[in-house]
Amino acid sequence: MQFTTDIVIGLEVHAGLNTKTKLFCGCPNRKAEQPNTLICPVCLGHPGSKPVVNRKVIEYALRMGIATQSKLASELIFSRKSYFYPDLAKNYQITQYELPICSGGKLALKDGKEVGFIRIHLEEDPASLVHQGSMQESPFVLVDYNRSGSPLLEIVTKPCMASPEEARDFMKQLITTLGYLNIFDANDGIIKADANLSIRESGYTRVEIKNITGFKEIERALIYEVARQKQEINDGKNRVQETRGWDADKGITFSMRTKETEADYGYIIDPDLVPITITKEMIEEVRMRMPELAPQKIQRYAGLGVDRTDAEIVASELELAELFERALEEGIKPVFAARWIRRELLRVLNYNKKSITDAKVDERQLFTLFRLVSGKKITEKTGQRLIEKLMDASFDMQEYVEKEGLLAVSDSDQLEQWCREAIAESTKAVEDYKNGSEKSLNFIVGHVMQKSRGTAAPEEVKGMLRNLLRNTSAL
Amino acid sequence: MDARELAEKVRARKIDPVQSIKEVLQKIKRINAEYHYFTTICEENALEQAEQVKRNPKGKLAGVPVSVKDCICVKGVESAAGSRILEGYKPVFDATAVELLREEGAIIIGKTSQDEFGFGGFSANVGIGHQKPLNPFDRQRSCGGSSGGSAGITQKADFPHISLAESTGGSIVNPASFCGVVGLCPTYGAVSRYGLLDYANSLDKIGPMAKSIAEARLMFDIIAQHDEKDATSVPHGQRQKHKEKNPEEMRIGIISYVMGDGIAEPIQEHTKKVIERLRQKGIACKEVALPTVKEFAIATYYLLATAEASTNLAKYCGMRYGKAEQLKGNFNDYFSDVRSRNFGKEAKRRVILGTFARMAGYRDAYYLKAAKVRTKIIEEYRELFKSYDALLSPTVPILPPTFEEIGNLTPLAQYMLDALTVGPNLAGLPHMNLPSGNAQGLPVGTLLTADHFNEHILFRLGEILEG
Repeated sequence: MQFTTDIVIGLEVHAGLNTKTKLFCGCPNRKAEQPNTLICPVCLGHPGSKPVVNRKVIEYALRMGIATQSKLASELIFSRKSYFYPDLAKNYQITQYELPICSGGKLALKDGKEVGFIRIHLEEDPASLVHQGSMQESPFVLVDYNRSGSPLLEIVTKPCMASPEEARDFMKQLITTLGYLNIFDANDGIIKADANLSIRESGYTRVEIKNITGFKEIERALIYEVARQKQEINDGKNRVQETRGWDADKGITFSMRTKETEADYGYIIDPDLVPITITKEMIEEVRMRMPELAPQKIQRYAGLGVDRTDAEIVASELELAELFERALEEGIKPVFAARWIRRELLRVLNYNKKSITDAKVDERQLFTLFRLVSGKKITEKTGQRLIEKLMDASFDMQEYVEKEGLLAVSDSDQLEQWCREAIAESTKAVEDYKNGSEKSLNFIVGHVMQKSRGTAAPEEVKGMLRNLLRNTSAL
Repeated sequence: MDARELAEKVRARKIDPVQSIKEVLQKIKRINAEYHYFTTICEENALEQAEQVKRNPKGKLAGVPVSVKDCICVKGVESAAGSRILEGYKPVFDATAVELLREEGAIIIGKTSQDEFGFGGFSANVGIGHQKPLNPFDRQRSCGGSSGGSAGITQKADFPHISLAESTGGSIVNPASFCGVVGLCPTYGAVSRYGLLDYANSLDKIGPMAKSIAEARLMFDIIAQHDEKDATSVPHGQRQKHKEKNPEEMRIGIISYVMGDGIAEPIQEHTKKVIERLRQKGIACKEVALPTVKEFAIATYYLLATAEASTNLAKYCGMRYGKAEQLKGNFNDYFSDVRSRNFGKEAKRRVILGTFARMAGYRDAYYLKAAKVRTKIIEEYRELFKSYDALLSPTVPILPPTFEEIGNLTPLAQYMLDALTVGPNLAGLPHMNLPSGNAQGLPVGTLLTADHFNEHILFRLGEILEG
């Protein structure tokens, strides 16, 4: 392949679908505290047991296919991928080979660049292996089959990303899309990537990095690997095609194998599973129920006058977008709602290290707060304090504001009185201001704010102080 | 007394099923010591079931002893597909077919011997440590295979009994022919495969073996149910049956190429007699050709069956399934050692053949091409069933051979003897062996094949010939 960029990255991403049951049996598809409790003869691969397709996954895969403008297959066919590994109960994995359910789709990055897909297909997750300490040192290996047979969607991109940042953004966009389609649990779902990386300096010798979890890790791992390869080339070493692992704790990649040949999995069509026809009607049904996706939402929000960045950030998480849309239904102005969700709500969420779903903010009180601020009933400063307080526990916003006397003071007599007092009490600052120090004015404003307990609007106070001070100097 | 009469008497409380099973168990133990038809006789289990039937005597098979091929799961009873690698493996569930039989009051008496995982046509490829079942007419000779134990005990039993057997490429009709009993291999998808230890999933069929057509039919009607646990099980609405016909309206195609070279003289003679009898009943018999089946069926069968088998047997590696041995070396060394020591020679041969056929570089030329030829074979049969109600040929080209003779055959020569049975198995067509007399004191069988889901035509023809 002819590459034109210095760095070439392709990703193979595995996302755990959030179906109620596993891919080929009726076992619950969720995490469990106790190992080997969500199991049956089918997901344990008991001799004589047979897989039966969970039809829900077809709908899920079609949603993804439609969202990414993929070509949809006319049949669902599964194959057996054979290899011996202790996490595979049957020593073969049921996956799709011959005919993936989706092919040739694409997904847009934040800057509008499109990442093309080779294929998207369905497969079962193997069991998880549990070691004591590291894999190399553990005296034993335990197998937990709770995960065995859970449905995975594998997304294989073309090698078309040109930087670790792009790979990170791709993962971000992908997670957003999966979340929007409600086929993946963005908070709790498993998402893992294998990255293929080639750099110009090595003559584009391909290195595969296995098992990277999450979008931040993708960027870290790739930045590390690019630097490591450049260093090796500087040191005069020859780069070889190899497979490397990512150690997130140490923040390094390590060599796993340098086998030149591709593994031979001896695929056959799984004869236990008859092909399922994917009809035009099935596809239409899914298409009709497709939710509005992030790019469309961003466009729509921008059309309402919302700042582009605010729109992008609000739309980047389905829960935020839904909160925003409910705020509009409550009569809050779009520009204000988007700004406050992005700047204030996300600020306190990040500070508390919580996502919108696990913060469980009382929406009714939040919207009351929005209304109070946007209607200038309270100052932005008061609003900021109250949104922080709302994170800890719910309370009646209106009542609290009234009881605590936090309503913004628009009574100019009262304001003027506070200003005069402040001027009288800040002789030094007043002198400095008169000598040209703008900073000193802010000091006096702060003094007024203190007196008003935040109920005064700072801009108004500033204006009034300037007036008063001009007048005093004239005196 | 046949199975139907026994069930009737048990239901009417004229026969005590516990007493009758005790006698059966004594008999089969004696027979087994001499003929090796069982890998396991589940005495306790059988007596428990008999007690239940005694308390609640109902069902079409109330109190009827049923033997089950070793590759079909019976809950709590060693089910090992005749292989040492599965020695001691007791499934936690009943195969759907077994469950259906139990619901009708059947009593499972034991697991019957077979070629390891079904890999053979003489029950000579038994697993390491297993004994070959011996032909009930001559103990020097083979029972046929792979359901050899089922066929042997069905012939040898002097008590009402039906066997649950299994076929991948001829494993029901072949031993039925060698032992002189009725064997029905149903349409693929008619009987649930849930609980079958797989040989080749796209070919495996569970079916009955019995002394009479009526008993085979009785069992077939019970087990031919749609099962949601098997994705290849066909719903009843999609099982298209042709209408019943009088003999004068029926047309039978005589498969021409099997009437000449390669077919033993006495078998040709017998088949001609059967055709004569059918003509006397007013049934039109005409020679038909199956050129693709003749040319390619054996190669196609062995490529597809071994490719699938090599993946099915992968799980027997000493990790979750298959004999656990002392851990030595890394995982690859460990499972290679377990498999080397516990699979028989033919199992290894088929795993190697099947793995080869699906490897990159060979996959297109072997596995994928075989899948395409299989479609052609199905089309060829379909075309014939537009004008014929059934097809007829001998079941096996030779009389039951001695074990010494079998030992002198190369694997390829052994595979070639499946020529008459692999066709309908590849096409998933129902086919039945009908005992049609003896030659040199050994049984000869006739093979009848019908269109998908038209087992009733086979029963009808069988009744005409049996009568």
